[in-house]
Amino acid sequence: MSQANSHYTKQQSTFVQRFKKNYIGWLFIILSVLGIGLFYFYPMVQAFLLSLQSGMGSNLEYVGLDNYIRLFNDPTFITALTNTILYLLIQVPVMIVLALIFSVLLNDPTLKFRGFFRTAIFLPAVTSLVAYAVIFKYLFGSDGLVNEFLLNFNLISEPLNWLTDPFLAKITIIIAITWRWTGYNMIFYLSALQNVDKSMYEAARIDGASPVQQFFFITIPLLKPIILFTSIVSTIGTLQLFDEVMNITSGGPGNATMTISMYIYNLSFEYTPDFGYAATVSYVILILVVILSFIQFKLGGDRE
Amino acid sequence: MRKNFWLLMIALLTAIVLAACSGGDDGSGNAEEEDNGDDGSQITAWAWDPNFNIAALNLAKEHYDNENFEMEIIENAQDDIVQRLNTGLSSGTMKGMPNIVLIEDQRAQSFLQSYPDAFYAIGDYFNPEDFADYKLAPTSFDGEQYGLPFDTGVTGFFYRTDYLEEAGYTHDDLVNITWSEYVEIAKDVKEQTGQAMLSLDPNDLGILRVMMQTTGTWYTSEDGTIQLEGNEPLQMALENYKELMENDLVKLSSDWSQYLAAFNSGDVASVPAGNWIGPSVEAEESQAGLWRVAPTPRLDMEGAANASNQGGSSFYVLNIDGKEAAAEFLGETFGSNVEFYQDLVQEVGAIGTFKPASEGDAYQFENEFFNGQQVVYDFSQWMEEIPQVDYGMNTYGIEDILSAEIQQYLDGKSLEDVLSDAQTQAENQFK
Repeated sequence: MSQANSHYTKQQSTFVQRFKKNYIGWLFIILSVLGIGLFYFYPMVQAFLLSLQSGMGSNLEYVGLDNYIRLFNDPTFITALTNTILYLLIQVPVMIVLALIFSVLLNDPTLKFRGFFRTAIFLPAVTSLVAYAVIFKYLFGSDGLVNEFLLNFNLISEPLNWLTDPFLAKITIIIAITWRWTGYNMIFYLSALQNVDKSMYEAARIDGASPVQQFFFITIPLLKPIILFTSIVSTIGTLQLFDEVMNITSGGPGNATMTISMYIYNLSFEYTPDFGYAATVSYVILILVVILSFIQFKLGGDRE
Repeated sequence: MRKNFWLLMIALLTAIVLAACSGGDDGSGNAEEEDNGDDGSQITAWAWDPNFNIAALNLAKEHYDNENFEMEIIENAQDDIVQRLNTGLSSGTMKGMPNIVLIEDQRAQSFLQSYPDAFYAIGDYFNPEDFADYKLAPTSFDGEQYGLPFDTGVTGFFYRTDYLEEAGYTHDDLVNITWSEYVEIAKDVKEQTGQAMLSLDPNDLGILRVMMQTTGTWYTSEDGTIQLEGNEPLQMALENYKELMENDLVKLSSDWSQYLAAFNSGDVASVPAGNWIGPSVEAEESQAGLWRVAPTPRLDMEGAANASNQGGSSFYVLNIDGKEAAAEFLGETFGSNVEFYQDLVQEVGAIGTFKPASEGDAYQFENEFFNGQQVVYDFSQWMEEIPQVDYGMNTYGIEDILSAEIQQYLDGKSLEDVLSDAQTQAENQFK
């Protein structure tokens, strides 16, 4: 410290001095900076350049912002975008609420077989995306287990077309993702609940607060940062939704369950490839993630 | 606490080791493929479907007597082949690409036009005129023949004799009918037997393409103009489609296995589809003798033929080292060998589009399952009548737009609006 102080008039040498003193630290940082630059920022710049080009396969040429203008006149893109936002608006809140309820229930120290229930609810999160999607497809098929069940309990008179009806197909997708990711989010809340001081609940009980009041006035405020974190992660995950839709409905019927990611896949591999336009659509996801995360931070992160 | 810490460490270590292992596998896998691509003496071929295309390639290898010829056949799902070709060819390096690749006819133009230098013209290695006419437009580009036509997707109207008899129809009543007659028959079948006439996946508009091609029309014209609005055959096809859907004559399926199950379980009375569905129909042995095949219904229009096409693919040679050897192999086997085609029919059940082959013995085979009908011969005759269409570049792209509009058509939107809206959307999309 004293050495640095004696040289503070000459900024240049201070910098060199500091660098010499910390060069090992710099070395570590430079490695990861180079890595991130090479594997994150370079592809991002390249993808942006690609999004300014258009053409079939390898015959790409620069078209300026044409691709971005094309987005607004592209009904398939607009359908994919609205579907994705719909999934987001319905599925993320439902899942977060469910995960919160489960975590609070399973945090009850008097509950028997807690470990078993926790594992059972978390287990879907470790299954492979494709495997579970295929199983859901069979469960919800027109003569699948779900229809059999509903028929046998006389809840419906004829089988529902879960996968071929535009509305029900969306519901099926939402049920599938909720099943897959609720347990994953529950684990975050459970671990956060371990850090909540038990004496707060004790004090609340002494003051006569009901369990519901405890949940809303102690648990939720204390879990706020985690709720923010999980909702951002879930939002990003839902925006990138691909496997489930690809395997369960392949976007159908008639694009009713198409998502943005699936549209990118179709543009690159299903139709005559236009990688430029596909890159443009993928930039839309990036922009959406930035905007939505910003909003969530503004709404939820008032403490920081 | 301590115990948990160690458990965590062990879990982490396992994860790292697992990650390292899988990484290693990927690396060696790629290296192997690159070797194949670079080495000129050995030929690689990519195809899908081990019982059909791969079996055909293996058979061709047996029929090809050239001691210096070595070929490795790699099986990939069709979607994977499309993906790998697209990523490989667009990156500009031909490393890891195969010498011979199978491409579906409806996709071929998009590859030939997107990557003009990637394919090798093989018109000199066989005589294109020996092949069914309808196969040539999709497999050639800019006046050059790039593909060697392989299997035909010639369609047939597979039907259950017992259900149709119960509804009062004989084989003769079903020969050379129109699609509107087909719809009427479907209504009778539903009334008399309670069975649906056919199974359809609402995501797959293949049936519309089959109907449209009987008149030699497509979503696009030969010069690539999108023609949905005012496309009379398409309009008729859609009207028939809606009629089938609205009268509950269709058993909906949401994937391939459900589609197969629909006729294997006896839930539908007919399967209008490409001949390649034959082996799947025959797979249900308990239904032997209950099936027959009639020619594909045509649209009720001047000049429509009772023949159409669904699917079918062709072989392409990539423009890399070993292309001459690969083209010679294809020319000598798939391109000219009549005997090979007889074995192909008998052993693999694949009907090629090589016209001279249909005179061979194997084509006269009377199939017990289909009441002793000479199914293969019939197909090969219908094949020659298939009206030629140019599939163009955007079949699948246009179809996605159309399928969304069809949902609205079924909900009551007028046919004119449906087609003109689809036209506007498609024009915006594929300029």
